[in-house]
Amino acid sequence: MFIFLWTFSLCMFAQDITVTGKVTDTTGEPLIGVTIQVRGTTNGTITDMDGNFTLEDVAPDGILDISYVGMKSQEVAVNNQTNIQVTLSEDTEMLEEVVVVGYGTMDRREVTSSIKTVSARDFNPGGARNPLDLIQGKVAGLNMTRTQGANPNSGVDIQLRGVTSLSGTRTPLIVIDGVPGGNLDLLQQDDIESFNVLKDGSAAAIYGTRANAGVILITTKKGAAGDPQFNYSTYLQHERVSDKPDILSASDFRDLISQGVINADQDFGASTDLFDELINKDNLSHYHNFSASGGSEKTNYRASIFYSNLEGIAKENSREQFGGRININQKGLQDLLTMSLNLATNFNKANMLGAGAPNKEDEMATGGTGDFEQAIQRNPTAPLYNEDGSFFETEAYNNYNPLSRLANREAWRNQQTTSADMRLSLQLTDEWSVSGFGSYVRDAYNDRYYRSSKDWDNRVGTEYQGRGFASKSNYLAWTKTFEATTDYRKTFSDLHTITGMLGYSYQYETFEKFRVNNNGFTTDAFLDWNLGAGSAINDTSLPRPGMGSEKQDNTLVAFFGRVNYSFADKYYVQGILRREGSSRFGANHKWGNFPAVSAGWAISEEEFMDDVDFVNELKLRIGYGITGNQGIPNYQSLITLGTGGVYPQNGVYYQTYGAARNPNPDLRWEQKAELNFGVDFAVLDRKISGSIDVYNRNTKDLLYNYNAQQPPYVRDLIYTNVGTLRNSGVEFQISALLIQKNNFNWNIDFAANTQSNKLTKLSSDLYEANWLSFYGLPSPGNLGDAFRLEEGGSVGNFYGKRFAGFTEDGKWLFYKQDGSTGTATEMSDDDLAIIGNGVPKFQASLTNTFVYKNFDLTFMLRGKFGFDILNLKELYFGNKKWLPNNLFKSAVTKHNQLDDDPQYSDYYLEKGDFVKLDNLTLGYNVPLNSSYIRNLRVYVTGKNLLTITGYSGSDPELQDTGFEPGVDRRDYYPRTRSWSVGLNIGF
Amino acid sequence: MKYKIYHLSVLFLAIILVAGTNSCTDLDENLYSELHKSSFYKSRLEVLQAALRPFTHMQAWLAPTGQNGYYYHAELSADQLAWPQKGRHGYDGGDHFRQHYHTWTANEGRMRTAWTLMWTGVGYVNNAIADLEEIDYESLDISDEEMAAILGELYVLRAFHYMKIMELWGNVPIITAVAEPINPPTQSKAEIFEFVKTELETHVPNLLPYSEELIGRVSQTAGYAMLAELYLNAEYFIGEPMYDECIAACDKIISGEAGGINGTPELAPNLLETFSNTNQNASEALFQFAFSRLGGFTFDWGGFFMGYSNISRVLNVGYSGNNGFVVIPSAFDAYQENDLRKEEWFLFGPQYEYGTDTPILGTEEYNGQPFIYVNSIRRESQGDLTSEGGMALGEENSGARFHKYKSGTIDDDNYRENHYMIYRLTEIYFNKAEAIMRKNGGEATREAVDLVNASRKRAFSDEDWATAQYTTSTLTMDELLAERGREFIFEGKRRTDIIRFGKFTAGSWWDHEPTNDPNREIYPIPHTQLAANPNLVQNPGYE
Repeated sequence: MFIFLWTFSLCMFAQDITVTGKVTDTTGEPLIGVTIQVRGTTNGTITDMDGNFTLEDVAPDGILDISYVGMKSQEVAVNNQTNIQVTLSEDTEMLEEVVVVGYGTMDRREVTSSIKTVSARDFNPGGARNPLDLIQGKVAGLNMTRTQGANPNSGVDIQLRGVTSLSGTRTPLIVIDGVPGGNLDLLQQDDIESFNVLKDGSAAAIYGTRANAGVILITTKKGAAGDPQFNYSTYLQHERVSDKPDILSASDFRDLISQGVINADQDFGASTDLFDELINKDNLSHYHNFSASGGSEKTNYRASIFYSNLEGIAKENSREQFGGRININQKGLQDLLTMSLNLATNFNKANMLGAGAPNKEDEMATGGTGDFEQAIQRNPTAPLYNEDGSFFETEAYNNYNPLSRLANREAWRNQQTTSADMRLSLQLTDEWSVSGFGSYVRDAYNDRYYRSSKDWDNRVGTEYQGRGFASKSNYLAWTKTFEATTDYRKTFSDLHTITGMLGYSYQYETFEKFRVNNNGFTTDAFLDWNLGAGSAINDTSLPRPGMGSEKQDNTLVAFFGRVNYSFADKYYVQGILRREGSSRFGANHKWGNFPAVSAGWAISEEEFMDDVDFVNELKLRIGYGITGNQGIPNYQSLITLGTGGVYPQNGVYYQTYGAARNPNPDLRWEQKAELNFGVDFAVLDRKISGSIDVYNRNTKDLLYNYNAQQPPYVRDLIYTNVGTLRNSGVEFQISALLIQKNNFNWNIDFAANTQSNKLTKLSSDLYEANWLSFYGLPSPGNLGDAFRLEEGGSVGNFYGKRFAGFTEDGKWLFYKQDGSTGTATEMSDDDLAIIGNGVPKFQASLTNTFVYKNFDLTFMLRGKFGFDILNLKELYFGNKKWLPNNLFKSAVTKHNQLDDDPQYSDYYLEKGDFVKLDNLTLGYNVPLNSSYIRNLRVYVTGKNLLTITGYSGSDPELQDTGFEPGVDRRDYYPRTRSWSVGLNIGF
Repeated sequence: MKYKIYHLSVLFLAIILVAGTNSCTDLDENLYSELHKSSFYKSRLEVLQAALRPFTHMQAWLAPTGQNGYYYHAELSADQLAWPQKGRHGYDGGDHFRQHYHTWTANEGRMRTAWTLMWTGVGYVNNAIADLEEIDYESLDISDEEMAAILGELYVLRAFHYMKIMELWGNVPIITAVAEPINPPTQSKAEIFEFVKTELETHVPNLLPYSEELIGRVSQTAGYAMLAELYLNAEYFIGEPMYDECIAACDKIISGEAGGINGTPELAPNLLETFSNTNQNASEALFQFAFSRLGGFTFDWGGFFMGYSNISRVLNVGYSGNNGFVVIPSAFDAYQENDLRKEEWFLFGPQYEYGTDTPILGTEEYNGQPFIYVNSIRRESQGDLTSEGGMALGEENSGARFHKYKSGTIDDDNYRENHYMIYRLTEIYFNKAEAIMRKNGGEATREAVDLVNASRKRAFSDEDWATAQYTTSTLTMDELLAERGREFIFEGKRRTDIIRFGKFTAGSWWDHEPTNDPNREIYPIPHTQLAANPNLVQNPGYE
């Protein structure tokens, strides 16, 4: 069909001429990749490496549109010329970058608050496990960590400008194409056009009660008028372990037996490497995305479908997904009415078994990480299998054979997420438009779990009596949103521009859950597919079958508006007000107001700057905004009765009912006030541009389950507003074109930020708490909470004993409060102190992009500095007292002197500073002189290739969001180094 | 065209206005899986469901079900049980050390938990009373007498909570309403005592006699047992002896006047019946938690008292535990060799797979070696066979272990059906005997000796009884306390007993040295509560 049309068009324009030419910049350097389009046709091309182009079939009286990013576009009349030389000059006007601001867009120069835009061409190259991986290190102040490395079933820990809430939402609000609370599963990396991160309060206030942690607006690719286009993207990715722990091998273990360090009876005769057995060495992930777009100015569309199969480094740990996205836009009614429609869906099937087979069905969602703890601590001389091929099991405390679990269990999640939205906009006059928007997002999953009759936990002698256990559960959540907005924009006497927007928003959210389990399955043939066959239904000697269900909902209603005024493109002011009500809050405080003001001064537009040639742009911004946080559980303000377990009434066991919580009718928003001061600049012909932002946030009325006064309250905790958190920091973002000559470009992007998070207050008129503590150190030992957050203290303070040395026989000595030393049994709470902090004070990332002819090379360095890591693995595994379990080699080297049970102290705190070679990509744009293929790019990406750090443990990049940062936990998911090869083709 | 557009826009604005003013600003909450009070209390069944909520909660702090409540503190601060560190296990922030050494501070996590658990119990009772006092019970076919009995049960239960709170903390607020006042002031121990005494004396006589129908509930036997305990301790609590009142309360029970599950309560004929998995109708029972695995409310003592899963095979049961509480060697040595309780109520010595002579193997210090419980808490695996040991020196097999309640094997029809006895008749015998002796200047009388011998006889064979039985000369006060310890070991009563006998702060046992600090007889108010409620006053010695 295409070929037919193509030959047909050849016939039609046989009389046309062929035009050749060259495009250069003002210095005479050829420009590569300049678009040359014959106006009114689909005929076009791009310049080659020497800036040359050839266009066939050009009408002798045609017009060529010549455009190139960063250059002023030109139109050239052909006038029968067959050779045309074009010189493009740089666009010294500020780039008309469109910034998505929530309920609308703005030109970059109009923006007065702190907003960072990252569009597709700046995304991190290579395969992304999560859409947010695309912008890691690109946005100063946006902190992302994948605590479970490349586990395809784990999420990203994300936090903007520090931690802003104790118990409410701490992750930014995700808005996809205008749908607040959008689901990231619905995004594939090739469907995303841009990310806009609303960082400060004056930008985020438009999202009112959900904006405390910042807002990330994601825009997907849309249909566009023009030639129908097809794009296909794919990559293959392979992971290799990057941080295998340094444990005793079987022969090391035997050496220690011969030295008398380990008892001889601990040699069980085999030589195993359990870590190795748990690794999916042949892992291969692949991803495919195929899209088509096209249409006219009036009606256009984009549709894409994708399929991916992602495999983790652990066995039985994978995620297979497919789905698609459709966008349709149509203009009608004399171009006054615009309809825009998006449909997106994702079907996925996740194998949740690997890395830490869930032990109970309700552990499904969390995804265990315990298997690799077993890989470290399992006796390397203990066989994994018995002689008859069955699994060799141990019953010691916190010991199990992961291979047996992998073989005898099933844990699957089948999920479907769908989103549909439609917007109708009507242009009433040139200045005034109204629009209505509705969306429906539905997320459903079905969990399957089975433990076979051969599973160790179900063996004869347990309550399961050698029979199978099965469970299923369902989850369904849906959100419907309706929003109406009206926009007004007018310019008076060429100097004053006023933009106004008013809107109403209604969002209803609900979820329901259902779960059921049974046991006593005499056959494993059914798995979970015949729940009724389990004999626990009638055999009361088995654990009782279980079931449960739940439903909750909440509603959010808002009225909001925004006014922008600009004078002579020099002075800008913006005001925002959102009045929002949430069903979650107390009857006395359902509604809150969220105002914001910001202003900008484009100094570079002033006359006195005309002589300062090297400055292309200089703008000062200042913004102040108030936002809220309603990300708390439902129903916290109500008096309700909850079930309390059964108790007999005359011998019959009935449920009992009592107060479910201490109600708090005064429950209200957490409120954040943020002041942001920023500078945007571009100098030296825009070769260097960037911005600096300084912020100070105070979040007050922090919601938390505080200790209630008991008596008189019924329950021990009351959900109420007490504390205040203060975050402050500086963010620095710079892009520079360092070299631009001949065929070679070198670009750098640098983002860095400092942050400080302090709890400034932990009391109110009615309540007072002295401190909060976090992260109870795990069993065995239960060595207490690792963190303490005190009034006036920093988030992430480690709180524990202070190491003072060892006694002669290797016992711990710690400092007492009075400076004397004592052993572990002599320590009390009064002797504990702040001993470190797990939140990086400084973070930076540097992206280098080199382009040479058709080759491009990108590498990104990323680092975090100024924080401590609690090396829990060392605390437990690097201690001979961990025997008879296996040890780190350090137990008999570095810590050989130690002859005492594990204790938590600053002995195990280390500096965590690191720099990583996070991404290295080599790409090649295959030059093709083909009418069929528009572009073809192949690339190779390596991720997490190198880490430079003084930290002695494994990967120093740990969770650093929330209140438990910088803990190198005992159970974990191995980090990986990955290589991928990819291909993008457009035709 | 313009005209039409204005029409559309008017329509559009109208929609916004309607939306903005009407249902679309409705922020009421819909309850689905939770219950609002207004849709409850619609039947007699529901009234009782609310009245019984405090019971399911109370077991969490009173019974040895693994929580850090009254039980944990009442046993670990006393001279019979300890939770020593066993190798890498059981350091637990030094919590158990501080209980044993009496070096606790106002900042003990487990003590905070005990406080909140017990006051939550008071809260549940107050909440139930407040709700039930309001309902129109006649419309639910509940008679005045029935309602009075239900409320009376709750008043007595509340007084019981206060008595136990007073034992641990002495001076606390008295609250009988829900959430008011917000910051109640501390009242003295004497005021608490008076409140408990008045409430019990007022309401106990109105309770129903114990009967099969009331199993697990507060009846007259429970009420008089509480009174007997309160009176017995009155001299300690308020310096005023109330031994006659104690004896009178005991007699209400012994005589059968207060009822009983099967008529007048009687001492169990043997050491096992009262704690067996068929103890629901135990003849000694006065007040019990009506646990039942089949009912969905299992008595799970594994958290404190069971070893790891290797011990499950010793007993052929499906549960295991944290290998926590052990018997202090001196407490185990307090039993004569021929005392049958030593055999029946403990796990001790070599352990075998159930019903066989195949040794169970250890998993920690004795990994792969035969597992033998020893009457010492020291590093025997490292060759220490002589020292006294210490709290930090335990191993997986240290100390004799709990085996008083027996769940039955996994294939037993009554597997884990055991009730937990809060009060049993033997204690009333001991209380009465003690009251008699204290009235008698600490000297035993024939009646006191008979009361104590009545239960002691179960612990000895007929041949040994002649030498084992007490006489008025051998039953000294010290001997009474020792026998009380032997009889009620694992029953969560030891702390109060040794305080009453003046041994709590002055005595020494195993790794514990006396503090000789009488302030240690009550615990400090948890710092979290002092911070939250400015009207609370810290107990003396902890400021």
